[in-house]
Amino acid sequence: MIRFQIDKFITYVEGTDEQVRRYAIDPAGYVAEWVQRGAAARTPIPDGGPLSPAARDALSKVDYAALYRMGAHPYVLWHFTEAVLVWAGDLAWAELKEQFRAAVAGAGYPDFAT
Amino acid sequence: MAELVAVVGVQHNPLLWRTMRDPMPADLAATHNNFTRFRNALAAADPEALVVVGSDHLRKFTFGNSPAFCIGKAERFACTYENEIRTFGLDVWEVPGDPELAAWLLGGSKDLTDGFDFAMSNEWLLDHSYAIPLVYLTDLDIPVVPVHTNTGIPPIPAASRFAALGAYLAAAITTAPFSRRVAIIASGHLATEVGGPRHFLGGDSPDAEFDELAINWMRTGDLTGAVAGCTLDRLLAAGNVTAQYLNFLTALAAAGSRPAAFAEGTASRFAAGPFFRWDTA
Repeated sequence: MIRFQIDKFITYVEGTDEQVRRYAIDPAGYVAEWVQRGAAARTPIPDGGPLSPAARDALSKVDYAALYRMGAHPYVLWHFTEAVLVWAGDLAWAELKEQFRAAVAGAGYPDFAT
Repeated sequence: MAELVAVVGVQHNPLLWRTMRDPMPADLAATHNNFTRFRNALAAADPEALVVVGSDHLRKFTFGNSPAFCIGKAERFACTYENEIRTFGLDVWEVPGDPELAAWLLGGSKDLTDGFDFAMSNEWLLDHSYAIPLVYLTDLDIPVVPVHTNTGIPPIPAASRFAALGAYLAAAITTAPFSRRVAIIASGHLATEVGGPRHFLGGDSPDAEFDELAINWMRTGDLTGAVAGCTLDRLLAAGNVTAQYLNFLTALAAAGSRPAAFAEGTASRFAAGPFFRWDTA
């Protein structure tokens, strides 16, 4: 469930320009709102859910290397990171490509089944 | 009776949309030429419907709902998602559907569906797995029946199921009680990685040894070898999204396991791009 909740979050954020912008402005605040909505009694909640402390911390810092190690889906994680740091941020795509590769190189291929 | 008039398998690299343009970069000329060659071959086969076997990239089918195999039977389909327009610069396209053929494939031929159960969709925004083959191979005017195969969200079906899917599609098409010239387009990858230690290596494959095997299975019509060789562990070892190669097993099986008339992993600035084409009987 930890991986599912991470994937749900990054898929939702990456899905629309509006959510990418909102998250990129204040990742920690966005995560807090997500968790708060996720505390509702009934599920599914399309834009909220519980996050482990480690996942919450990583998402609050856009720590893609940590998310990769936790088993976030690599395809979605890459596009989430690209959207937040390149499209909504000021990092060059080529720079992120190299940084991402280097950051996950030591982690191998974590299980990303949810 | 419907006929299976063409079977092809092509890549769907969305990064081509911004890069494979005039003036044509030298490294992409071969890819462009192959798309043109396949477009002409498909036009010569004169299909009235296209069954496009692709894999939604976690847009339509996500972690909350992930069918193994799904057939779309809408009257029209649009492409693509907001995030794909942002990320790849794709345009918005529409293609007609073929609800009659889709309904038949979904179970109109009940004797043939034994052992094969599809999910169904009446409303489906297609992603680049469908859009890229369609925009490069057609004028977007031929009715489409999209087939989604889950190659991205574990549990991913075994390779044998992709082969069974191809055999089923061919049998169902050729026994349909209505007239239709049908082509199958499979959409996939060779060894490819996105978001991992081997992503975006320029023209280098994340697993050249797998690519050679993968092209040879198609070239020699070795469906048995392909099924045996495409364990999920082996596919993952070849790159974290390489499982989309499994769609070519569907194409090979649909073509009766005949050797492909054309089988190539075309080199460019990207990972080698597959082009497979079979002569139909």
